[in-house]
Amino acid sequence: MTRREFLALLAAGTAGAGMCWAQESGGMASRGVRPQPRGKPSGLPFHARFTDVAAHAGLRAPVIYGPPDRMDYILESMGCGVAFLDYDNDGWLDIFLLSGTRREGPVEGASNRLYKNNRDGTFTDATAKAGLVRQGWACGVTVGDCNNDGFDDLFITAWPQNILYRNNGDGTFTDVTEAAGLLHPGKRWGSGCTWVDYDRDGRLDLFVSNYLVFDFDKIPPTGKDPNCNFKGVPVNCGPRGLVPERPMLYHNNGDGTFTDVTARSGIGAAAPGFGLTAVAADLDGDGWQDIYVACDSTPSLVFHNRGDGTFSEQGLLSGLAVNEDGNEQAGMGIAIGDFDTDGRLDALKTHFAEDTAALYRNAGHLVFEDVTLRSGLGVETRHVGWGDGIADLDNDGLPDLFWVTGSVFPEVERKHPEFPHKTPRVLFRNLGGGRFEELLDGAGPAIAEAHSSRGAAFGDFDNDGDLDILIMNINEPPSLLRNDVRGGGHWLKVKLVGTRSNPSAIGAVATAVYGGRRQAQPVLGSSGYLSCGDRRLHFGLGPAAMADLEIAWPSGVRESVAGLRADQLVTVKEGVGVVARERFGS
Amino acid sequence: MSQAQDQRPGVEAHLSRGAQLMQDQLFEAAANEFEQALELNAADPRARFEFAVCLVSLGRNDEARRQFDEVRQLTGESRYVTYYLGRLDLLSNDYASAIRRLGSLTEEPPFPDTAFYLGVAYISSGDVAGGTKWLERAAKLLPHDYRVHYRLARAYSSGGREQEAAHEYGLYSQLRDEHKNTEKDVRECTSALGTGPLATAREACHRIYDPNDPEKLTLLGQLFGDAGAFAEALDPLKRAAQLDANSFEAWHNLGVSYFRLERYEEARAPLEKAVALRPNFYGSVVLLGATLYMLGEDDAALPVLERAHRLNPADTETAAALEKLRARRRK
Repeated sequence: MTRREFLALLAAGTAGAGMCWAQESGGMASRGVRPQPRGKPSGLPFHARFTDVAAHAGLRAPVIYGPPDRMDYILESMGCGVAFLDYDNDGWLDIFLLSGTRREGPVEGASNRLYKNNRDGTFTDATAKAGLVRQGWACGVTVGDCNNDGFDDLFITAWPQNILYRNNGDGTFTDVTEAAGLLHPGKRWGSGCTWVDYDRDGRLDLFVSNYLVFDFDKIPPTGKDPNCNFKGVPVNCGPRGLVPERPMLYHNNGDGTFTDVTARSGIGAAAPGFGLTAVAADLDGDGWQDIYVACDSTPSLVFHNRGDGTFSEQGLLSGLAVNEDGNEQAGMGIAIGDFDTDGRLDALKTHFAEDTAALYRNAGHLVFEDVTLRSGLGVETRHVGWGDGIADLDNDGLPDLFWVTGSVFPEVERKHPEFPHKTPRVLFRNLGGGRFEELLDGAGPAIAEAHSSRGAAFGDFDNDGDLDILIMNINEPPSLLRNDVRGGGHWLKVKLVGTRSNPSAIGAVATAVYGGRRQAQPVLGSSGYLSCGDRRLHFGLGPAAMADLEIAWPSGVRESVAGLRADQLVTVKEGVGVVARERFGS
Repeated sequence: MSQAQDQRPGVEAHLSRGAQLMQDQLFEAAANEFEQALELNAADPRARFEFAVCLVSLGRNDEARRQFDEVRQLTGESRYVTYYLGRLDLLSNDYASAIRRLGSLTEEPPFPDTAFYLGVAYISSGDVAGGTKWLERAAKLLPHDYRVHYRLARAYSSGGREQEAAHEYGLYSQLRDEHKNTEKDVRECTSALGTGPLATAREACHRIYDPNDPEKLTLLGQLFGDAGAFAEALDPLKRAAQLDANSFEAWHNLGVSYFRLERYEEARAPLEKAVALRPNFYGSVVLLGATLYMLGEDDAALPVLERAHRLNPADTETAAALEKLRARRRK
């Protein structure tokens, strides 16, 4: 054997040693993290039990969003939001479901849908009667009384054009987008939206986040480059590799029209990003509404309200832009609540698979601390997370965490069964002390049911003193998770009505003091993923039979109500106090 | 011993395979190899340590902790075991223990990120001043790691040191942008190397070249090597090895490149370095054996190739080459 022949024998052993550089998943930001080990179950009972009653309730029409078996374009994969609202002011939550369509042409029967609550656990489709039949690529919804006439209006983001519906007060709505000055030139993909009275003039202004520049004819085909592949499977492209957008702010002129103040307010100065859910709340307790935008694979944005009609972007400084290691995540949904009952508003943001959701504890002065891992959320990294909530689901006095999930790449599960298209809901029960425990079962059959879900809204549709959940499922009927709470935990519901503030009281923060805890809750114009929940605040009180209430109104007025008995809905009018009490079922 | 028995993988072979699988980030498969090594010799601390490290990568933290404890029983205290136990403490929110363990390593840290995790442990425990001190040290040791600068910026913010925080946020943003740009450049370089002429690819790939960043330099060398452009790989790999003398990837890939260019004399030293850094990495060992053989140093080559064979007895080519070398020496 010559030395060269010898060399030929060993040629196979001359491979280089590889370094791993990019660990991102296709076009989405994912840390590729492995779940933390699950601890021993606490064994504590959980008193909420969820059952999907959508079919029984009459919510049987599927929500069309793209083709049934694939998602060739990112627009088809992102889905849309849902809303609980009381459009006829009868004290019972109605339902508004957004809808998509299909590129190849309209789908018969597909439309945004309004369902009126029959007060017996069922709903009647009131879409046509209300004048809301419309088929298109709807995304987000915000509900609020923008013309101060006492009825909730609807603003809907959509590609390629957003829509404002005025509630006429007689069960019908009118599209007033053009008259309001909200038609924009060209095609734009509006995603998140929220009513927000940023200048405290008592009128609801409008914040809109935009996702990315989209045109069916210009988007690269599936699998074209590394941004269009997931685990080696060609998938729809984006958001990375596509052109990010900027959010917009419209000032309410008080005469039915709006003025674009994006540049003047400083909102337009923020770096472009793939903006999705937008939530307005007073995050630093200074009496002015701030705006938090979940961005998908770019740093999320926090617009701090300076109180002079302008905002400064403080995402990085606040700690809410990225995770604790400085990595941007695929921000989808945002929930605001007070999980540690310290009287400050915390935040939960959902992300892509192979990453955790992020739980941020509010340390005051617009400083947030990423407590995801230390709170126990690191055990769950399997699914793409969307609509979420920080909500006391079992009335034990401690807000729990819930989010819905679903893949954006239905093609992938054929090659990788570990990444199914339809996935279950995620529920973390609050153990107290800043710790959470994931409940894989024990909270009713609806938690484990798998769907490709997007929007989620929280509210008490059957007025029985607990929180139910409305969920958008892509190309399936929605889910309506009826919550049946046992265990005897008390509760208090609070409906706020603004006088100097906007009538919807959007932006108010009510803090319930009960059993040694102080739990803050904001009245939101939008939350979860592109969705809108019950504006009646729900406090689980646990064993406490009484609670005091402190209210910070968006006008700046502060008000207290002492000694409220549990298990009732109280209506508090700004400057007046409690004007109504209602004990459900009586 | 029969021929069949001789072919069964031994402990060394499982360790070698496990090391390769770890390199490829196939942790489940790597753990399986280390478990098989432990079945052959439960008292082998190397197999148990590597198994434990694998379990950390898999998020099987409780099992990892048990394995590290067993390693301690086998070898006594070890900086490496203490480091991993400290990180596991951190993951399980036991900050006091993490501080105790990682703090004991500061004189002679086993890995450059020891100070980073110690800083994180202090911050998590609520000791911002203590955490800041260690994060500052980590920023000096890991100047290109944006995570460190982000954490340090947060620590400065918490401590009311706004000016220093702004400086660190600036560094973080710059490094994060650079990281993202590098990701993009890697994609473009890979694509250019795969499709176009080398001259064009060279231009696209040069954007990755950073004379002060050993990771980027190693990566660039690796991309050239993967495309068969070994001559192009030499310069970045030499520079990377100069900057980070403990970079196994830099030394190994430099050795591979020289070897593939048939510059055996120059391949020898990098491969010896690589083998010293990872004695169980089959690829380095077999290549060093081949290099020595090509240099006519049969006596030196034989034990190295024998070791390579033990590391990977299933590789029939190595076995055949070794057999021929032995026969040649018998003559």
